[in-house]
Amino acid sequence: MKQSRWWTIAGVAIVVYSFFPLLWMISLSLKPPSDIVSGEPQFLPTSWSFENFTQVFSEPLFTRALINSIGISLIATLLSVIVAMFAAYAIARLDFPGKKVLLSLALGIAMFPQAALVGPLFNMWRNIGIYDTWIGLIIPYLTFALPLSIWTMSAFFRQIPWEMEQAAQVDGATSWQAFRKVIVPLAAPGVFTTAILTFFFCWNDFLFAISLTSTNNARTVPAALAFFQGASMFESAVPYVMAASVVVTIPVVILVLAFQRRIVAGLTAGAVKG
Amino acid sequence: MAEITIKNVFKRYGDGFPAVNDVSLDIADGEFMILVGPSGCGKSTLLRMIVGLEDISSGDMIIGGKRVNDKAPRDRNLAMVFQNYALYPHLSVFENIAFPLRLQGKHSNEEIRKLVNDAADTLELQEHLERKPSQLSGGQRQRVAMGRAIVRQADAFLFDEPLSNLDAKLRGQMRTEILRLQRRLGVTTVYVTHDQTEAMTLGDRVAVLKKGVLQQVASPRELYEQPVNLFVAGFIGSPPMNFIPAVLRDGRLELPFASIPARPEWTNVAGEGQLLITGIRPGSFEDASLVDPGKAGRGITFDVTVDVTEWLGNEQYAFVPYEAPTDIAAQLAELAHELDSEQMRTQLCVSLDPMSRVPAGGTATLWLDPSRIHLFDPKSGENLTRGSAMASSEPVASSNR
Repeated sequence: MKQSRWWTIAGVAIVVYSFFPLLWMISLSLKPPSDIVSGEPQFLPTSWSFENFTQVFSEPLFTRALINSIGISLIATLLSVIVAMFAAYAIARLDFPGKKVLLSLALGIAMFPQAALVGPLFNMWRNIGIYDTWIGLIIPYLTFALPLSIWTMSAFFRQIPWEMEQAAQVDGATSWQAFRKVIVPLAAPGVFTTAILTFFFCWNDFLFAISLTSTNNARTVPAALAFFQGASMFESAVPYVMAASVVVTIPVVILVLAFQRRIVAGLTAGAVKG
Repeated sequence: MAEITIKNVFKRYGDGFPAVNDVSLDIADGEFMILVGPSGCGKSTLLRMIVGLEDISSGDMIIGGKRVNDKAPRDRNLAMVFQNYALYPHLSVFENIAFPLRLQGKHSNEEIRKLVNDAADTLELQEHLERKPSQLSGGQRQRVAMGRAIVRQADAFLFDEPLSNLDAKLRGQMRTEILRLQRRLGVTTVYVTHDQTEAMTLGDRVAVLKKGVLQQVASPRELYEQPVNLFVAGFIGSPPMNFIPAVLRDGRLELPFASIPARPEWTNVAGEGQLLITGIRPGSFEDASLVDPGKAGRGITFDVTVDVTEWLGNEQYAFVPYEAPTDIAAQLAELAHELDSEQMRTQLCVSLDPMSRVPAGGTATLWLDPSRIHLFDPKSGENLTRGSAMASSEPVASSNR
């Protein structure tokens, strides 16, 4: 009893500690610009205002970046999940030469320092003309998201008893039908988890976004935040940046809350004895 | 409905090890065939070759007159029940059973509902149709797996150790259910098990496998009474047959604990002074004081020292240790290992009438009917007295009961 109370206290402490920056961000985004430069800083705003948000949404810099962010992240996630699903299935189920090499290679790519790639990519993208375009960001995102997706998904596929698939084949299914009607539904939690992880990766990326874009054409929100300015040169840009940050954080929080249950891979329970 | 013919089938793995070694087997239409053997004997591999989940290295697999070696599982029209049921966890019981029908794509929804309901009636699954497999008990899941098999008109049913995940009581009930179902539907059935009770009670015929080699195919009764070799003799029967070293000398068979006048069928097959292994079922012994006077004269009596006794209410076992020559003892230990058991010491297991008051640690007088002794060649393990005038009946024809 006493022990569990200590666990609760420790848990609350950790939650407060990790939520503080988030709360501070929200608080800042609700403050009028004058609060930021005031001589007596305080945690809560002196007057609550949503003006920062309306201001942010009236800026094409931000609205355009938001569209870019959503579009690029969704497309990259979708492509990566589809490709990774087939690749992971092959790795988990089929025997082919070079399987180990492929897996280690994938891991190697995931460990490659991204910053080292930015320079060459910048030049190459300019030469082939996809600098500052959606596709120019989607390609590097795929490169780094795929290995991770393949690794997570092949782990999920491996958990599915092979007998499921064999049973389906004996029941009269083709390999494709067995995959679509039995394996994919069973792997759904894995697919969702992978999709969410990939989406976060693309959504949060700053390095590629700032280096491979130059205009509103393809600049995503994390990069756009760096270009925010106050209403006048005497005003701080911080409240606007914070308001924009709150706006981009919300989808992430909603995603986590909505798919929390799916991430917990309990769907295979009851497939076999147990 | 179809007969299954297996002709000189081999399964070799990458390292050349033959998991199934030149197996030939004819399974008649409507027959209940059991594949039995200790773990690793290739019985499951053989079953999976029939259904098409394992490639056939060489030989022919013929189902219903058609060679199916190169056909995919779905083109063989067989139904299989897996050891761990392999139900689809994301589908309801109804959809699990309907799954093979939906894949065929030639039934209307109305027909599917009717067929599934019929199958559910047969297996008493009506009230569970809307539930998910995870909400069912082990026995219910087993029935769903069987429902998925019977719902379509499969040419044959294949069972891969379907009862091994159930507890002992349920296993007995489901065994009877499977037998009843098979008798009613009359579908050719191949059933893999390592449990000899299932093998003996279910099968029209039983095929015993050892390390990929078919040892004997016969009715359960013939397997029990006329085993071809030491392996089959030791595998079939519980408690297992006793194997005792013996020598034929001066017209008598000398056992470590008794000397028996030789019978003509023994002297015909074994020479003077030849070392033999005798096989005697525990049930061939009796407490001499309780033997029916009418048959007492047919047997011999001898005194032994009983080590321990096990009284089970409806039967009683007594254990009698004896000394065996070391090379024979080593061979018997090897045999025990092949049979997935372990022999700590050479001892005789004797089944006695539960009324018997044989004292543990004391001396007892036992009675034995010599006509029920099997003689085995210690080198080849072959049964030398097979087919001779034993207490058994004539070999049972291998057809439907």
